[in-house]
Amino acid sequence: MTGSIERRLIAAGSATRKSLATAIVLGFSGGMATIVQAVLLARIVTAVVFYHTPWTSLSHDVIALVGVFFLRSVLTYGAEVAAYHAAAAAKVSLRKSLLQHVFSLGPAYLANERSGELAASLLDGIETLEPFLARYLPQMALVVMLPMAILAVVFRLDLISGLVLLVSGPIIPLFMVLVGHQAEAINRRQWRKLLSMSAHFLDAVQGITTLKLFGRVRDEIELIMRISDDYRRTTMASLRVAFLTSAVLEFFASLSIALAAVLFGARLIHGDIGFFSAFLVLLLVPEFFLPLRALATHYHARMSALAAAQRIFEVLDAEGPMRWGKALPPPGPLSIVCDSISIEYRKGAYAVRDVNVVFPPGSVTAIVGRTGAGKSSLVAAILGFVAPSAGRLLIGNIVPLTTVDRDAWWRLIAYVPQSPRLFAGTLAENLRLARRDADVTTIRSALARARLLDDVDAMPSGIETIIGTGGSGLSAGQIQRLALARAFLKDAPILILDEATAHLDLETEAEIVETIAELARGRTSIMIAHRLATVRRSDRILVLDGGRIVESGNHSALMAQGGAYTRLLIKSRATACAT
Amino acid sequence: MRDLMRLLRLYAPYRRWIFGAIGLGLVTVLANFGLLALSGWFLASAGLVGLAGYAAQNAFNFYAPAAGVRFFATVRVLARYGGRLADHEATLRLLAKLRVAVYARLEPLAPAALSEDRSGELLSRLVADVDRLGDFFLRVISPFAVAGLGSVVMVLVFATFSPVAAVALMLGLSLAGVAVPLTSLLLGQQHSRRVTNIQDSIRSDLVDSVQGMTELLIYDASQTMINQVHGQSQDLTTVQGSLARVAGFGAALNLLASGMTVTSILVIGAVLVMAHRLAGPDSALLALGAMAAFEAVSPLPAAFQNLGGIRESARRVFELTDRAALVREPEVSPRKPTHLDLRLSDVRLRYPGQAGWALDGLNLVMEPGEHISILGRSGAGKTSLVYLLLRFADYQQGSATIGGIELRDIRGDDLRSLFTVVSERTQIFAGSIRHNLLIAKPDANEAELWQALQMAQLSVFVRQQPDGLDTLLGEAGAKISGGEARRISLARAALRQTPFLILDEPTEGLDPATASNFGTALASIASSRTVITITHRLENIHDADRVAVLRAGRIIEDGRFGVLRAAGGPVSHLAKLQEKLVHV
Repeated sequence: MTGSIERRLIAAGSATRKSLATAIVLGFSGGMATIVQAVLLARIVTAVVFYHTPWTSLSHDVIALVGVFFLRSVLTYGAEVAAYHAAAAAKVSLRKSLLQHVFSLGPAYLANERSGELAASLLDGIETLEPFLARYLPQMALVVMLPMAILAVVFRLDLISGLVLLVSGPIIPLFMVLVGHQAEAINRRQWRKLLSMSAHFLDAVQGITTLKLFGRVRDEIELIMRISDDYRRTTMASLRVAFLTSAVLEFFASLSIALAAVLFGARLIHGDIGFFSAFLVLLLVPEFFLPLRALATHYHARMSALAAAQRIFEVLDAEGPMRWGKALPPPGPLSIVCDSISIEYRKGAYAVRDVNVVFPPGSVTAIVGRTGAGKSSLVAAILGFVAPSAGRLLIGNIVPLTTVDRDAWWRLIAYVPQSPRLFAGTLAENLRLARRDADVTTIRSALARARLLDDVDAMPSGIETIIGTGGSGLSAGQIQRLALARAFLKDAPILILDEATAHLDLETEAEIVETIAELARGRTSIMIAHRLATVRRSDRILVLDGGRIVESGNHSALMAQGGAYTRLLIKSRATACAT
Repeated sequence: MRDLMRLLRLYAPYRRWIFGAIGLGLVTVLANFGLLALSGWFLASAGLVGLAGYAAQNAFNFYAPAAGVRFFATVRVLARYGGRLADHEATLRLLAKLRVAVYARLEPLAPAALSEDRSGELLSRLVADVDRLGDFFLRVISPFAVAGLGSVVMVLVFATFSPVAAVALMLGLSLAGVAVPLTSLLLGQQHSRRVTNIQDSIRSDLVDSVQGMTELLIYDASQTMINQVHGQSQDLTTVQGSLARVAGFGAALNLLASGMTVTSILVIGAVLVMAHRLAGPDSALLALGAMAAFEAVSPLPAAFQNLGGIRESARRVFELTDRAALVREPEVSPRKPTHLDLRLSDVRLRYPGQAGWALDGLNLVMEPGEHISILGRSGAGKTSLVYLLLRFADYQQGSATIGGIELRDIRGDDLRSLFTVVSERTQIFAGSIRHNLLIAKPDANEAELWQALQMAQLSVFVRQQPDGLDTLLGEAGAKISGGEARRISLARAALRQTPFLILDEPTEGLDPATASNFGTALASIASSRTVITITHRLENIHDADRVAVLRAGRIIEDGRFGVLRAAGGPVSHLAKLQEKLVHV
């Protein structure tokens, strides 16, 4: 599982293979320069200790040494920049394709995802890939290449030390795998625990008012203390194992240095080996282990990158709900036909079941029913966000929605939801969403028709007033009017309103109802509503229950029928004013 | 800097762990230094002895330095292992302490002093900031202390051989450990800030994309949004490229600093050996020792980077916890009154820094057991009235009493023990249904819990769940519907037999049928209590009910609904609207 994610992730970074190769080459050259540096150092020390060479005759070696340090600096800089390039392009293209894919999945997919979490995985998740692509991968190559090169040099100098390294080299990864395997499992468990502990603290912080109301803050503090203590105890227990991984590495590195020093010491005393070789090997031994140690420090980066990649690929692998075609919808006022439509989110769990209905061109239809009756699902199918599991949607009586061009279809629709989203920017920019080229006169007239113009004119910067994310600074009623102004501006033949007044207070709602009626006139309008004022004016009312249409007709016909509609109405009237 | 000192003071109780962790870190660094330096000296000495003939070989004490090498090697491994454990132990203890300290400071501030920001963001950022402050020791103090103390010891060791070499080492270490990291920090500061800004703006665009997706798609703006994010993402990468170059520059300079230091110490050694002021093997010791010394300062660039971020977090956390509470609490409450009537006369309430009165001469009298519905549009002062009663905000003028005692003379917790609030904002906690109910009454038994659920018309739902009362509700109650969440808060109210019940828009966000069922459940819990319902709708209001209209911080109409409906005032206006807008 982890392996396949890792392979995909590496493939995702393949666009920047050149930079990765550069990073590896530069890293390797840096390692080579380090060997040369060790040789020069050993020569100088040997000359000083054994031949008491005046430093002036060492100047060639000293200058060469300085040169090597400069070279290594340049290589380090280059490797750093190359590592950045190895990840940069991959991050940008992943972020774009991920966002593109999320849009093609549509809002129905998001209904199951917490939006904040998705936003986080798009941004932070992709950022965590960087250390993996830029550090871990090049290091993976170096961890093989550099020790081999050093081993070759050591073998030429001294057979015994070469054998010591040759044996301890492969043993380390083996040990690390053994210990690390367990450590990784523990680590992952701990990681989840950490997340749940942080989540608990966030929960407690966000709920502090509620806890204060119940006089329970002091208990909560004790709980936070206890949970943190618990977490600490179990974490420390697992860290004791997890840190063994690096302790193994440290152990071998230290052992090899000590072994080299002690063995060489004995052999030097007996004159079995020259000082130069012995000293050089001593300098090279730490370098032999260095790439492995560096890899170990990126190990966590790998884990969090893989966790993030898993989330990212899950989103990328999710399939969009709808197939679309290339056909253009027929011109003129449009009818929409639901031909035996069923919608199942899971097998057998019907949100809409076998619905047959025609929305005639230019007529206003209201859909009423309790929560969970299937109103939103039906509308989502018409918008093309949910694919019916059975039946067909026909546009203009003949063209199946699945053959229609997606963007051409949406161009025909204006949509006003329960909580319209205002995007960071000016009022005018928010309105131009509906029509890119709208001039000031057009915008002002749309605002006037939505009865928002006076409010906007009262703002200091008029239509250039900046409104923030979530529409801060505007009241709920103003936000709703802005959404209506958008719909006026788009002037589309089809209008869909999804509980457009549900959040408003009485007076605001009363002010908006007229505007909605005006907007709907002459368009094929479908409105999910539960206000008599909106519903009564519509040409036809559909009553949904359990995913089926149980009644349809205009207000007076349904009242005369005395069925489900009347029951709904009487019930709410009864609770509204028991006169 | 002052913020960081405050942070340090919080660490006092864990002194032992902190000194232990730093001590072990120091031992690790010094053992590494000792291992390499001694090995170099040992090889050089042994080499010289080997050349000098048998007499010298026999005189040479082979075992002591060999044992020293093994000792340093062992100590390095053990100290490093122990040091990392101690580091993390200290960090986790500190984190727990920090959380508790911050949480305790939040209590008097909630909710009024916390609400001026978009609260979700403020509080979740606070949690992330506190987590980051927990790393202060691990990522800043510990590396600085170890590198600083270690450097001093190593420089002193050098000084016993050669003061000049010691000076060279000191210069080199401070260059690589302090000057270079500080320079790259300064060079990168502007870029880092830009990275944060672009990331913030990408994040807000992503939230817009996700939450406004339907509108973006229908209005054919999705591609524009994708391009906008893509453009920012490219900008981000460009700035990160500049940061990478700064980092590369810093790393290169660092390497150069250590290289030049090692070279100059070699030259110094050569000169001293030539002058017979230094033994040959000692020059090998100095060369290898210098190389090892730079490992001690290698964590400092990262520590400098972290220092900036942590200072920023500390500033934000302390800014929040230093806010003045809106209410000053008395030490003790007077005895609990027996006759719990509520009298508000000419109450004026203003928030700090605001010009206008949120409550502007409000008058209201309620006898025990009376019910009232307070009607008002948003901004009329409904929330302020609730805050006044719960002592979440202080009143400046007028009088507000319960049983004849001024609210400001009663301790907040004691006052709030008289009230239960049911509102859209009531938090459902992650955890089980049982856990959520016990918040209202920690010592409630099984029978009481079920009775409360029954009264809230939730017992059938809970019985249907495979785990019953132990059903987990998910983060912020994500696994249950809005109606069920509201009923859980109603069940809490049923458990808590307080004399006052505040229903703050109790059916807001529920569909009409659910709202109407909810109203029925409410009625059984509300009876025999004093109930204040805050609402902007007239549903569930009967002719005999008392209603009051709140506008601009004062009550402009108060009386029986049936009477006021015919009186031609604000209530009759609302009633007409309601008739027109009746639910279906």
